[in-house]
Amino acid sequence: MAKKLQTVLIVDDSPISRKMLKSCFPKEREFQFHEAGDGLQALNLYRELKPDLVTLDLTMPVMDGFTALAEIRAFDPEAMVIVCTADVQDKSLQEVTDKGAFMILAKPPSKGSVLEALTRVEESA
Amino acid sequence: MSEAIISEIKLANAAELDLFLSEESQQRIMSADERDTLQEMMNIAFGRAAASLAEVISIFVSLSVPCVQLLKGEKLTVYLEQMVGPGPEISIVEERFYGKMEGSAFLVFPADAGGQLVPLFGDEETLYEGEAREEVERDALLTTGGILIGACVGKLAELLGDQVSYSPAKLVAKTQGKAIPAALCNPDAVAIVLKTDFSFREESVQGFLFLVTSQESIGWLKEALAGFLSQYEG
Repeated sequence: MAKKLQTVLIVDDSPISRKMLKSCFPKEREFQFHEAGDGLQALNLYRELKPDLVTLDLTMPVMDGFTALAEIRAFDPEAMVIVCTADVQDKSLQEVTDKGAFMILAKPPSKGSVLEALTRVEESA
Repeated sequence: MSEAIISEIKLANAAELDLFLSEESQQRIMSADERDTLQEMMNIAFGRAAASLAEVISIFVSLSVPCVQLLKGEKLTVYLEQMVGPGPEISIVEERFYGKMEGSAFLVFPADAGGQLVPLFGDEETLYEGEAREEVERDALLTTGGILIGACVGKLAELLGDQVSYSPAKLVAKTQGKAIPAALCNPDAVAIVLKTDFSFREESVQGFLFLVTSQESIGWLKEALAGFLSQYEG
């Protein structure tokens, strides 16, 4: 049976980008959002909260998304991470896939692309 | 020291030199939310530009967090000097863009970057055969610059609902003092600078792209930013 996602950790250094992504989640569902502004904050919050889903930007100060993804997956190999990035180079996408990202969402997000991603995540559970 | 830290120090120095408008003045012209949105758009646009370049030449571009600053037109030359720092010559590829958003894009490389880029375009022996070395390296810089600038500005314009045309990319100067067109250095005008640092992982070439738009673009830009954000409201 598909697992319904509830807790979501949105990781992006841009506050407006976090706001934009949050607004694309279906309104009829009740998600519990948490936010982090860099990879290190994300890692600490992940350890504390163990969210159902992480959306992760790649280009961030302090700790970038590539490192954060590896660290999160090392801590929890079952972690469900969607990389939401502007860096759509094949090599970047390959690198995050190798590091265990579930899928990649190209920026800017839309309601449609987020819904499709959520469906894929929930169906995979 | 990491590139990001160096960049932050340079920006801090620029602030100390009083290059940027005060936060209060910036806020009066563009709100923090508007600048943050523009910064995110630049992030998206440069990401697309890097992917476009990777389709043409086998290269991986490491991206950094862009920054958006407002400064007086007359300070642009000093700003560029501050960003580049003293030392060896640099190569600057410039492309002007025209639309509702108008301005110039500059891609700043170290002076020897052309020679490092040439092998990425194919077999060096064939590329240099019968050609002046400097011409081939100049072409490599211009092609790289043209792709990065064209794709970045094009995506930015698309996100803002604009369509821009370009002047052909040109190598404007090997010294920063002569790089900025006089029209943008108007002492009474405010310029928006969008800057992003990058490095090519394979060739250790580092540089930065910055876009300067004129004060006349600001009114339209604010409306376009509001339009972009409206799709994420409610």
